[in-house]
Amino acid sequence: MSSAISVRHLTKDFRIGLRGLKLRAVDDLSLEIPRGQVYGLLGPNGCGKSTTLKIVLGLVTATAGEISILGQPSATSAARRRTGFLPEAPYFHKFLTGRELVRYCAQLSGVADADVDAAVEDALGLAAMTEAAARPIGTYSKGMLQRIGFAQAVVHDPELVILDEPTAGVDPVGSAAIGNMIQAMRAKGKTIVLCSHLLGQVEQVCDRVAIMDRGKLVLEGAVEDVLARRDRHVLTVEAMTPAARAAAEAALAAHGATVTSVTHPRRSLEDLFRELVTGSRDA
Amino acid sequence: MRRFAPWLLVGLLVLGAGALAESSWRRVRTGIPEIGRKELEPSLGQGVLLGVLGGLRTVVADIAWIRSYVFWERRDRAGCEALMRSACALDPHARYFWENAGLRIGLDMAHWEIRRRGGYAKVPAETQQRLFQQYGRRGLDVLEEGMGYARNRTALLLAAGFLAEGKLKDVGLAANYYRQAAEAADAPWYAARISADFEWGAGRKVEAYRWYRRYWETRLRPIQDGFPDDLVRLRGMENELRLGLLQRIPRQPWER
Amino acid sequence: MQASLRRTLWISRVTFLEAVRQRFFAFLLVLSAAMVLSSVSFRVFDFGHGELKFIADFGFGGMFFFGSVLAVVMTAQLFFSEIDNRTALTLLAKPVSRAEFLLGKFFGAWAVLGVFVAVLASLQGTVLWAREQELVAQAEQAGRIPTTFSFGGLVQLALLQWLRLGVVISIVLAISALARTFLFAVVVGSLAVVAGQLQWIAQDALLRPTDSPVYAAFLWVSTRIIPNLQQFNLADALVLGASAVEDGAVFAVFLSGLAYLAAYLTVGALIFRRREI
Repeated sequence: MSSAISVRHLTKDFRIGLRGLKLRAVDDLSLEIPRGQVYGLLGPNGCGKSTTLKIVLGLVTATAGEISILGQPSATSAARRRTGFLPEAPYFHKFLTGRELVRYCAQLSGVADADVDAAVEDALGLAAMTEAAARPIGTYSKGMLQRIGFAQAVVHDPELVILDEPTAGVDPVGSAAIGNMIQAMRAKGKTIVLCSHLLGQVEQVCDRVAIMDRGKLVLEGAVEDVLARRDRHVLTVEAMTPAARAAAEAALAAHGATVTSVTHPRRSLEDLFRELVTGSRDA
Repeated sequence: MRRFAPWLLVGLLVLGAGALAESSWRRVRTGIPEIGRKELEPSLGQGVLLGVLGGLRTVVADIAWIRSYVFWERRDRAGCEALMRSACALDPHARYFWENAGLRIGLDMAHWEIRRRGGYAKVPAETQQRLFQQYGRRGLDVLEEGMGYARNRTALLLAAGFLAEGKLKDVGLAANYYRQAAEAADAPWYAARISADFEWGAGRKVEAYRWYRRYWETRLRPIQDGFPDDLVRLRGMENELRLGLLQRIPRQPWER
Repeated sequence: MQASLRRTLWISRVTFLEAVRQRFFAFLLVLSAAMVLSSVSFRVFDFGHGELKFIADFGFGGMFFFGSVLAVVMTAQLFFSEIDNRTALTLLAKPVSRAEFLLGKFFGAWAVLGVFVAVLASLQGTVLWAREQELVAQAEQAGRIPTTFSFGGLVQLALLQWLRLGVVISIVLAISALARTFLFAVVVGSLAVVAGQLQWIAQDALLRPTDSPVYAAFLWVSTRIIPNLQQFNLADALVLGASAVEDGAVFAVFLSGLAYLAAYLTVGALIFRRREI
């Protein structure tokens, strides 16, 4: 079976100014994104990840290279029919209600007339936006905008969902909700490409990651593989006294192992926040 | 080749649209007489451009006409004439503009020119007469041009007759204008009589009588009271021509 | 084909909804309507054009002027709001082609201008009819021939104006597809409208014989590229019967308008196809 996205030797140059100076945004990038996984595309601002996604979606033309989506050449209508996209900081027509927007996108994405109502309600349910769906988008908070954006991206039940900075500017509760949506899509067997520079979230939800810098791919692999340090270990011990610690260190030293640091485990601030704040104010 | 195919299609579409537009323009051009007139060129900078572009022509013509009064008060011939001609050009169907432009040029502008040259006492009589004739002719030209466009031609013919007689001193020409006015459907009651009188005065007495008599018999007698004053004038002509009894208009039962 | 049509209609529907909610549209519509209605009061400034002519010219002038402003500014605004707000990203990432997007924008904007023309033409017809009744009564009393207007001609003229505005929209969309900023599109679009209104000068010159083949070629090319927008101004001939037009001439104008519209939309679609969003 073909990859969800296959990028081969992709290069993109932007021409700047009247003299046509070239700025290389993507430099000979090759990627294979397998199906059914959550794939994180990471990198600092301006590293070329958004440009790569735009090229994949046919919004920007490549200077060189080949791209296919689900076995079909990218930038074709057929490829986009099986793809959902949530752009960074999405903006929608404020006068439409959430439900009208998702319906509009369902119609544009080729959902059959008979299936539109059900598809719209499913997408709204998945994005936890059913209650707010009758409100105009102009009244939505940032988190709700992201969630309605997620709903419009998945309303036609795409096989591949591309999310560009889906949690940018969203509070941790909203961010967690989006994380749950991603997990739900993965459970359905969908491929999700997540473009973000919030590394904590990527680490939590992604199966594989690719890191880009200055238009080039610098690292690619399964999250477990790229993060694990096989030469070091972490033990978590309860009710440890100084004597117990000294005994443990001596026992480890007898086997040639060295304790390099002893610290108290910390909760992440995000976990603490989510523990204290029970629900998003968005709903 | 495939890359250029859509642009080839565009080229064909643009060519087709251009050819169609040329054909349609030939057919509608006569229906838009108010554009393409050279008279508008001197006043394009005075708001007339908006009217040239399309729409609001009547309003712009009115404004141009009102503005021409400013120049008229200053006795600025060039400015006044340019704006009057602009008003005529912007709305060539309006009789009012042609009639008043023709009369202002024909009647007023010779006087402005004489004053500009030092006044009536200083300018020799023959020069004055030449100027009256010159501007009278120009006014007449404007009226003649307007006859080609204006809906109400009769008023322009009467004004032309007035100028021809008053400024050009050409009663034959004046008679011709009044005759055309008299033959119009909306002819005023006096036009035929003036035409006949001028033609009589020009020495074409028999022709004047014949035309006036036929006009009275066909156009005047059947309506209202039979126009007795015109019959009196016709009787006077018959007397002067010394016509025999059978050659005269039969006596009318109501005739005194 | 049907799916493509459906997508285009959905985009035009949302474009229409977006446009009719704009204050700019409401402002120009109210201003133009006020102009039509006030024409009866302003007729005291008329110098003998014939009252109906003055009223008609006042109203159609408003339709022409404000309609052109609306067609240029609103179309550019509708296009650039999608690009600048990046809603185009969401739409074009779906199975929507660039041509469908542009056509959707076109039909949405054209529908708004259809509303604009229909409202103004209805008001114009009502004002003309009311004044005609008074003038007919006065003329009958005075034994004069009354001045009248043609309702059928008014409908034809309204359709011609709508088509003219459609041509303007298609030109502005083609310019917008190329332009980087809203301001550029509005300025160049306005200049294109002015050029279109004056194109007949080249058209007239082309019909006259000339010795210079270069001049003739220049005229020929400019009359092909620039649309003749003046040919749609047939108010006198159609509504007031002041001047005659040949049989079938109005149909020929319709046909050439549609051809221009198709040509500029195709140009716009081809340019927009290469644009990076």
